[in-house]
Amino acid sequence: MNTREITVTVNGRKRTVNVEVRRTLADFLREDLGLTATHLGCEHGVCGACTVIVDGHTERSCTQLAVQADGREITTVEGLATGDGELHPVQQALRDNHSFQCGFCTPGFVMTIYGMCEDKKAGRPVPCSRTEIREELSGNICRCTGYQSIVDGTEAALAGTAGKES
Amino acid sequence: MKPAVFEYVSPTSVDEAVTALSTTDDIGDVKVLAGGQSLVPLLSLRLAQPGRIVDINGIENLSEITEEAGVVTIGALVRQAVAGRSDVVRRSIPLMAAAIPLIGHGAIRNRGTVGGSIAHADPAAELPTVAACLDAELVAQGPGGERSIRAADFFTGFFTTALSEDEILTAVRIRAAGPGTGAAYEEVARRHGDFAMAGVAAQVRLDGDTVAEARIAISGVDLAPVRASKAEAALAGRTIDDAVLDEAADATVADLSPSSDLHGSAAYRKHIAGVLIRKAVRTAAARARETL
Amino acid sequence: MAGGSAISGLVGARVHRKEDRTILTGTGRYVDDVQARGMLHAHFLRSTVAHGRITSIDVDEARKVEGVVRVFTGADMSAITEDLSFAQPIPGLHSPSYPAIAHDVVRFVGEPVALIIAESRYIAEDAAGLIEIDYDILDPIMSTTAGLADGATELFGDVPGNVVHTDEQLFGDIEAAFSQADHVVEQSLDQHRWACNPMETRGGVATYETGSGQLVYEASTQTTHTLRFLLAGWIRQPIHQFRVTANNIGGGFGLKFSAYREDVAVCAAAKAVGGAVKWVEDRNEHLVAAGAAREEQLTLQAAVKADGTLLGLRVTMKLDAGAYPINPPATVYAGLVRTTLPGPYKLPAYHFQHHIVATNKASYISLRGPWAVETLVRERLMDKIAETCGISPVEVRTRNLITLDDQPTKMITNVTLENVTAAETFQKLVEMVDLDEVRRQQEAARAEGRLLGFGVGTFIEPAPGTQEFWAAVGFPFGSEPCRIRIEIDGKVTAFTPQTPHGQSHETTLSQLIADELGVGFDDIRIVYGDTDATPFSMLGTGGSRAATMASGAAVYGARELRKRVLEIASHMLEASVEDLQIADGVVSVKGAPGASVPMGQIAMGCWLAPDQMPPGTNTEMEFVADYDGEGGGFSQASHACWVEVDQQTGKIEVQRFLVVEDCGKMINPAVVEGQVIGGIAMGVGGMLLEHSAYAEDGQYLTATFMDYLMPSAPELPEIEIEHMEFETDKVVGSRGVGEGGTVLAPAALLNAIDDALAQVGRPRITETPITPTRMLELLGVIEKE
Repeated sequence: MNTREITVTVNGRKRTVNVEVRRTLADFLREDLGLTATHLGCEHGVCGACTVIVDGHTERSCTQLAVQADGREITTVEGLATGDGELHPVQQALRDNHSFQCGFCTPGFVMTIYGMCEDKKAGRPVPCSRTEIREELSGNICRCTGYQSIVDGTEAALAGTAGKES
Repeated sequence: MKPAVFEYVSPTSVDEAVTALSTTDDIGDVKVLAGGQSLVPLLSLRLAQPGRIVDINGIENLSEITEEAGVVTIGALVRQAVAGRSDVVRRSIPLMAAAIPLIGHGAIRNRGTVGGSIAHADPAAELPTVAACLDAELVAQGPGGERSIRAADFFTGFFTTALSEDEILTAVRIRAAGPGTGAAYEEVARRHGDFAMAGVAAQVRLDGDTVAEARIAISGVDLAPVRASKAEAALAGRTIDDAVLDEAADATVADLSPSSDLHGSAAYRKHIAGVLIRKAVRTAAARARETL
Repeated sequence: MAGGSAISGLVGARVHRKEDRTILTGTGRYVDDVQARGMLHAHFLRSTVAHGRITSIDVDEARKVEGVVRVFTGADMSAITEDLSFAQPIPGLHSPSYPAIAHDVVRFVGEPVALIIAESRYIAEDAAGLIEIDYDILDPIMSTTAGLADGATELFGDVPGNVVHTDEQLFGDIEAAFSQADHVVEQSLDQHRWACNPMETRGGVATYETGSGQLVYEASTQTTHTLRFLLAGWIRQPIHQFRVTANNIGGGFGLKFSAYREDVAVCAAAKAVGGAVKWVEDRNEHLVAAGAAREEQLTLQAAVKADGTLLGLRVTMKLDAGAYPINPPATVYAGLVRTTLPGPYKLPAYHFQHHIVATNKASYISLRGPWAVETLVRERLMDKIAETCGISPVEVRTRNLITLDDQPTKMITNVTLENVTAAETFQKLVEMVDLDEVRRQQEAARAEGRLLGFGVGTFIEPAPGTQEFWAAVGFPFGSEPCRIRIEIDGKVTAFTPQTPHGQSHETTLSQLIADELGVGFDDIRIVYGDTDATPFSMLGTGGSRAATMASGAAVYGARELRKRVLEIASHMLEASVEDLQIADGVVSVKGAPGASVPMGQIAMGCWLAPDQMPPGTNTEMEFVADYDGEGGGFSQASHACWVEVDQQTGKIEVQRFLVVEDCGKMINPAVVEGQVIGGIAMGVGGMLLEHSAYAEDGQYLTATFMDYLMPSAPELPEIEIEHMEFETDKVVGSRGVGEGGTVLAPAALLNAIDDALAQVGRPRITETPITPTRMLELLGVIEKE
């Protein structure tokens, strides 16, 4: 088998693993590291369910190879909430707004919205209006919600009002 | 939907990459992997089953944007999102700055590269159309060294370019837009972020009220981006009004023979090409006026 | 309000979902998340031709691939399984049985022709690429018209003329209706195929324990019990040795109601190899092979009086069933359309005829409100009647709607309507919209060269429907069980046959039980998706039944246990039952807070020492309630849709969408709104973007998400919802709301587009989807190809 040893930092933990070179980053995270929160909805870069943070930016994990992650830093949904059951403010904002239903697309949206919040922290431009938020969310497909509740949750996440409303 | 077996090479220099592209005995197809936003899906669908992947992401010095003597050079590995945020690009290639937000979605632009999109040569994509519109020089390196290919010669057909199999695209060179220049990229896609059914890149340089130079290219209506030279000629030296725009658009559209698919009929694509020419030129001219 | 440990008044509140911690942290367990040591992976090779006879199949090279454990051809699979059969004693129904893996004739692109079991999916796909198959190509039937044509190639030996089923039914005096008519108004619609496309595709992990002979199938399904009893026979597994489970399910929308040939093959393969086999359908397979919905052609003729009063209706429907039958039988779809089509309108006479036709496509499947075309064509017909009679779309409906004052009454299809408030929701909608202002805005926009359209619609939804309704359709209306247990510490576990996949039943059932039983919301757990644990129901989650049926079962179960607890407490506290209350898991005497006993103490006594509990009391702390639906009922809503049509690009922007809905008592308004908005999104996407398309030669054209266009956030409007909650005297006044958005939204949307077209003198829509190309063709801007 055609493999390579790679070293990646995933959710703060450095891992050195031998991977088959044809393995996608998504399969590596899910199958080899057991981090199954990152979901595969289409495996061809359209649905966004597999979105993760790579070196500070949102990227699709289904459209890159695991070997390409060598030396890079990755955050998945598993890396957001602390172990004590406290949700990350982004997750809490989404919960407050009943943003999701079946949950399959959810990790991808959480990471996309988390990415927006990180952009905001870093002084990069972030969407302001609901229309702009919808455009920023356009790379993530949800079949259940019609997105309105996700836009609500994104607004709250960007405003930092999680847990502060009824 | 899992990629077939391939050999993976990750050169750290262009020379190494060229060597990996050239030494292909019995290996079958060799594909260059840049941002991978088109290639990896093709691998997963097994529509592409190359024997070797040459991953150029580890090559240094291909991720820079520089401006010198009125020419902007964008390294092939510059991520689309980085190019879109670049002050140099926004100032000197306003057409590219206008086009980038229309490419896919944020997470795709964070990974996808300027060079990769151009080398992939999807006739519906934005950056090849920008390159065609602005007569970009596409810098290629192969075993024989470096050469520069004009965009007009670069896009040779459906997903095909003038790059030979042992060459990689290393940079895109585009003449900086001078004062009096405005640009617009207009397209119609079924959904936000989709490949457009047709798109129009337009850059207009005004001399007072008249058009000193108009550059127009159309996506999605042929096997490669189409330069609308008749429209450009129709606009040159004229003051832009509805009649002039109609003349420019009609002259171009008459020559188009797009094909039909599920998303848009040939007649539809032809029609919106005209609509978009009018819209893009009008917007580009308005932006040009703002710079005067 | 937060979930927390609130003790009462949860029903009706926007309680935070129980499900959210799991899904937001990614700790759910969807099928592809299942990992087990030694687990093998399945991959199906699928037919590349629409109709053909397999003349040879060579799997030798595939079997040699390192890491490949087994390769099953159709013949191999048929040696260990029975053919799938969904045949039922329905007169005139031709329901051919078929093998899990084709070994003779293939009938659609995507039909399984081989199954590879390997150590990884990558390897299985490598092996699939080495299998060589030859076909003798047969003529593909790619439309109902082609299927019904004289001399058409027949797909099956036992489906004469490709007619799966045909029937006509007459209600009232249709001839008289048409002879009295001032106008006969005609309408036709050719609806395209579109699909469920849950974000989690189909799939399952089958684990065979060779020692015990037990098989466990963890599946992405809407109905564990039905999947179990259907599969057991086909895979020759004794049913008592077969357990079907479902954990997190990433959406279903009707698709996951059936059992599929892939389920059969994966379970049989696990038995054959003696271990765990995982199959997860990839998106490409899903789009090609999972089946699609809604492909129906209807023509309607309405007899109306000059003032727009409906006198009679003649309807014919052709339904493109695809090749292979699934569950439910296609006659159920036809029955649903026929029975529901008169909707909330007075209709004296009605004739309905249908032809269900086999074609060389993937199966016709259920999709969120599978009968929806009845509302789509009826509501569009109402607008055309209005136009013909020179009255407004509001007037034509108001004149024909059945109001609460008219009820109880019978639909012409022999279904009693009672407590149906479609007319009242429509009245409310009309009050919220200034129609004159809408027309003024349209006129002003036209003066600027812009084109605005406005459309309305109303409907009733059998959610859950009534005995009579389902009898008319030809499908059983089952009762719904729920087992509730007060645990030894007073906490509560409830077992439901529902298999929630986004509907928030863990939250809503907990709200109901918390209020009934006086225990904390967080002290209740809902168990679902396990045939070893949950009571039997054929239906699982589907048909928008849960709001009434699962709720009712939970309420009745909780009430019975509450009664038992109070009787015991009454002895212990020496107070009459009437004087007792339960709050936060403690039984106390009203007005005497010191006199109390924790429910946990009572439960512990009942579980550990029942003989020491007060004599004559019922100490069973577990009870299975069976709720009959109290006669059932309907949901209803009215929609209004505002669109702008770009006359240059043909793009349609939904500018505003207003809903007035009445699903009775809302258990959790946030959940109701999520269902309504999500449903509308699916309806809008289905009409404007989505298309499960075939070429004339039977090749499938939309096999990726680049071509099958799911609506994303920018394509959808902000949706405004006005709730009405009509209260009946029934114990459970909640009605289902899962499907209605998808049923009604296409009607309001198409009416809005037709309204725009009418303003510029253009013809109505007769075909969907409404792509930009079709829109410019309708506007006369471009020629149709």
